[in-house]
Amino acid sequence: MNVLNIPTALCVARKDIKIFLKERGTLLYLFVVPIVFILAFSGVSGVESAPKKEAITLPVVNLDSGSEESQTLLDALNQDGSIQCELYDEAKAGALLEKGAIKRVLTIPANYGSDLQSGHAVTLHLANASDASFTKSEAVHRVVTGVAADLSLQSQLISSFRQMSDMQAMISPEEQAFTTEIIIEQAQSQFERSRTEPLLGLVESWPEHLQEKDEQETNPLNVYIPGFTVLFIFLTAQTTAQSLYEEKKMGSFRRLLAAPISKPTILLGKVVPNFITGLTQIIVLFGTGVLITPLLGLDSMTLGNDPLALVVVSLTILLCSTGLGVLISGIARTEAQISGVSQVVLWIFGFAAIWMDQLGSISGLDVISQLIPHTWANGAFLDLFVRGQGLADIVPSVLVLLGFTLAFFAIGLWRFDYR
Amino acid sequence: MNETILEARNLIKKFGDLTAVNDVNLAIQKGEVFGLLGPNGAGKTTIISMITGLLKPTSGQITVDGLDLQTEPYAVKAKLGLVPQELALYPTLSARDNLAFFGSIYGLGGKQLQERVDAMLAMVELTERANEAVETYSGGMKRRVNIAAGLLHQPKVLFLDEPTVGVDPQSRNAIFEAVEALNRAGMTVIYTTHYMEEAQRLCHRVAIIDEGQIIALDTPSTLISSLGGGILVLGLEDPEAGAGLGKVQTVVDRVMELPAVKSMTRDDGHVKIETHRFQEALMGILDITNQLDVRITSMEKWEPNLESVFLHMTGKKLRE
Repeated sequence: MNVLNIPTALCVARKDIKIFLKERGTLLYLFVVPIVFILAFSGVSGVESAPKKEAITLPVVNLDSGSEESQTLLDALNQDGSIQCELYDEAKAGALLEKGAIKRVLTIPANYGSDLQSGHAVTLHLANASDASFTKSEAVHRVVTGVAADLSLQSQLISSFRQMSDMQAMISPEEQAFTTEIIIEQAQSQFERSRTEPLLGLVESWPEHLQEKDEQETNPLNVYIPGFTVLFIFLTAQTTAQSLYEEKKMGSFRRLLAAPISKPTILLGKVVPNFITGLTQIIVLFGTGVLITPLLGLDSMTLGNDPLALVVVSLTILLCSTGLGVLISGIARTEAQISGVSQVVLWIFGFAAIWMDQLGSISGLDVISQLIPHTWANGAFLDLFVRGQGLADIVPSVLVLLGFTLAFFAIGLWRFDYR
Repeated sequence: MNETILEARNLIKKFGDLTAVNDVNLAIQKGEVFGLLGPNGAGKTTIISMITGLLKPTSGQITVDGLDLQTEPYAVKAKLGLVPQELALYPTLSARDNLAFFGSIYGLGGKQLQERVDAMLAMVELTERANEAVETYSGGMKRRVNIAAGLLHQPKVLFLDEPTVGVDPQSRNAIFEAVEALNRAGMTVIYTTHYMEEAQRLCHRVAIIDEGQIIALDTPSTLISSLGGGILVLGLEDPEAGAGLGKVQTVVDRVMELPAVKSMTRDDGHVKIETHRFQEALMGILDITNQLDVRITSMEKWEPNLESVFLHMTGKKLRE
C-alpha cells in the first residue's frame, strides 16, 4: 500500500466536491459575491480615480530656489488646480522615492532662472517610483508639459521683445526699425519656435524595468479583479478547514482513518477540492473580467503579456491557499476559530492587500503587508496585468509565496490533530 | 468457534498521566459476537480505537487473522469494519452516495461497488429511499445506513460501537436482527454497549470493563450465574443505639451461617448478601433479625443479570 494513494485521494476529493456543489450558500459566497464586489468597486473606482477631480500632491525638488522663474513655475503648476506642489530636500526626496513612500518627484534644475533668461533650453525632470500609478503620473506629466509650454512661449516672447527693444534703442528715434508687420512676424516666429524648440522641456523617467511600460491608463478592473480573486481564493482555505472540522465532528474522519488508507492520502483528498475551487474561481473571475465586463459597458481587463507567468502565479497562489487551509485546520480547535476568526482575518488580509497601494505610504503598514501572502499574490498579479511584467520579474513574489506555502504546510501538518 | 481471529495482548493506552486502558488481553473467536460492556468512560471506545488502528497503543500487540496491526496496518484495516458511535455519514449526500464513497475508500469500484451498495441498501431496507439525502432520514434509518457503511467491504470482524444510542425501539430491534443475521452468516462482531440487555441478548461472550481494565470475561450466563440466586442489600439498625451496637454484627455472623447465603459484605450500615437461593436466604435473615430485635430500614433485591454483576463487582451502576 502506497503512502500516497492518488486514486483514493481523488475519491475523497470527489466526495467533497459533491458535498460542496450541494451547498448553494458556499457557491454563492465564493463565486457570485466576488463578482458583485468587483463590479461595485470598479464602478466606484472609476469615479474616484478620475485624475482631474482632486489635486495630486507633487513632491518638487527646487535646485534653483532663489530664482523668480522657478517660483513662477511652481505658481503656475499650483494654479492649474490638478497639482499641489510640495517642496522637498533633494536627498530626502530621493530616499523616499526609492522606498516608494512618495510616488514621483519633479526636479527643477540649478540655474533654471538664469538659463531661461539667457534663452538656453532648460529640462525639468519627473522621476517615478516603480509602483507609481500610471494614471496619476500621466496626469502630472500632462500638467507639467502644458505649464512648461506656456512658460516657454512666455519666456521666448519676452526675450524676443527685449531684443527688439534693445535694437530699437541703438537707432535714432525717427527711424522705425520695427513696423507692426515685423512685430507680428517676430511673435509668430517665436510661437513656432516655442513649439518646435521649447525653451522649457520635461523628461520623465521610470525605473529601468518599467521603461517599456504600457502607455494606456490603468483599468480599475485590472486592479480589482486580481485583488478580489486573491481575497476569495484565500477564503477557500477556510472552507477546507471547515470541511476537515465537520468531518471530525461528524465522526466520518474516524471512519476514514479506520480504512486502509494513509493519513497523507486523506489530507491530499481533503485539500484537492480547495485547489480545484480556487482554480475555478480564477477562471470564472478572470473570464468575467475579459468577457463579461465589456458587455456591461466597462473596459475589458487585460491578462498581461506572459501567459506562462500567469499560470505560474495562479498555481503558486492556489498552493499557498491550500497550505493556509491545512494551517487553519492544524491550529484552530473550535468551530468559532475556524468559521469566525479565520474568516475575519482572511477578509482583513484580502482588503489590506487590495488597498496597499494607497495605504503603503502610511508608516509601518508597508512592512506589515509584507508579512501576509495576499500582498505578494496581489502584487504578482498587478506586475503582470498593470505593469506588463513577465515571468522573470515575478520570481521574487513566487518564491515568497512558496515560502509561505511550505511554512503553512509544515506548521499545519505538525499541529494537525487526527483524533 | 475455536479459531482466534483477533487477539490483543497486554494492551495499554496512556494519555499523559491517565491510564485509559490498562493491560487488556482479548482473544476473539471467529464467528462469535463479543461484547465489551462497561459504563461511559470505561475505556471501551479506546480499546476499539486501538484495535482498529485509530489510536496507537502505548504498549501491547494486536493481531487480526494472523497479521500484526503494527507491521501490516493496511492489511489489517482491510479486514475490519467500523461502525462508529457517531452517525458518521455526510448528511447532504444520499445513502447511495455515502455507501459508494465508503466502499470506494476500501478499494471497491465499478460493478462490484454498485452491487455491494445495492446489497447493503436492501439489507437495511432503504432501497426505496436510497437516493434521498441522509439528512431527511429518521434517526433509526441513519443508524441503519451507518451500519451498512461498515459492511460494504465484507469485513472479517465488524466493530459496532454503541450502535443503538438514541435509537427508537423499532430501529433497535432492526439493528439486533441485522447483527444476528450477520453473525449467522459467519461474521465476527465486537459489540460495545452500556446496555446490559443488549449484551445479554446478542453476545456469546462479554468482557466487563471498568476504569480501563477487564474485570470479568465470560459468557453472559456464566457471569450471571456467578451471582447465584441474586443479591440482597439490607439496611440494619439496632434500636438500642450505643449499647447494642454489637447486635448488627451478631446478625451478620448468624446470616453467614445460613446454607442459602454465599457471601456477605458490610459497608456504611448496609449489608450486601450474595445468595445461592434467594427465597430461602430471605426467610432465614428475617428470622434472625426478629430474634435479635434488629430493625430492617431498607431492603433491595438485585436481580441476577449483567447489570447486577457489574454492580456487584464495582459497586457502581452501568449507567452512572
